[in-house]
Amino acid sequence: MRNRTVTLKLVTEWFHIKQSKLRRDVFQAIADPTRREIIGLISQQSLNLNALADHFEISRPAVSKHIKILMECGLLAIRQDGRERYCEPRLQKIQEVAAWAEKYREFWSQKLDALANFLDSENQPK
Amino acid sequence: MKAEPLVLERTLNAPVASVWDALTNNAKMKKWYFDIADFKPEIGFEFQFYGSKDDTRYLHLCKITELIPEKRLTYTWKYENFPGESAVTFELFEEGAQTRLKLTHAGLESFTTDNPDFAPSSFNAGWTFIIGTSLKDFVEGKHTN
Repeated sequence: MRNRTVTLKLVTEWFHIKQSKLRRDVFQAIADPTRREIIGLISQQSLNLNALADHFEISRPAVSKHIKILMECGLLAIRQDGRERYCEPRLQKIQEVAAWAEKYREFWSQKLDALANFLDSENQPK
Repeated sequence: MKAEPLVLERTLNAPVASVWDALTNNAKMKKWYFDIADFKPEIGFEFQFYGSKDDTRYLHLCKITELIPEKRLTYTWKYENFPGESAVTFELFEEGAQTRLKLTHAGLESFTTDNPDFAPSSFNAGWTFIIGTSLKDFVEGKHTN
């Protein structure tokens, strides 16, 4: 019974987290293929703005717009190093979303454990 | 691009008929699943339950959409007063005296798409990015700032 309470609390918690924090930020950040590519690139290494823009065929202002959105969503930060500005990843929020998906996996995992236990108990001679 | 559903598989130490009964017989469902007031294994049957006795905020609303006895059961799964609708499918495969159960929960991403500014196709790509293995490696890697 305790397990079940814990499970349901988890479900409630992620729902609360999702409602309060995730919608309209992280999902929006990665809804666009260019932004996903930017995240992919800077997760390998920090890149200055020029180097990053060179990876894309779209205009520099267009790349800048995506960078700005990623900053607003908290997935990217700019670090000034002398005359260069480097884009660095801030992946904590993506981890939160991955954790949100993971809650469902945990939830069903625990339900299936409960099912397996129930079936075992049914097989026991009374 | 379609978002990836959540899929879990489990081999259960019981024959298909017993597993099916546990999935569709309300008295048995109460023992491991949820306390549902009324449940009938019929296509179109609607049922509902709260997530927990402690927390009555989330009423789960379900409707059976597929039912092939001892093989396949699908119902919709959504929350009262929240946008989005998902679907849960249980599939059973006989493996000697055991049963392999495959659970698929599709459409979870729809719970986050009430914003009309979202283009569903790109959103789904984002979802797949999130739960896909590449991202999993990516977030489990060294970048934890």
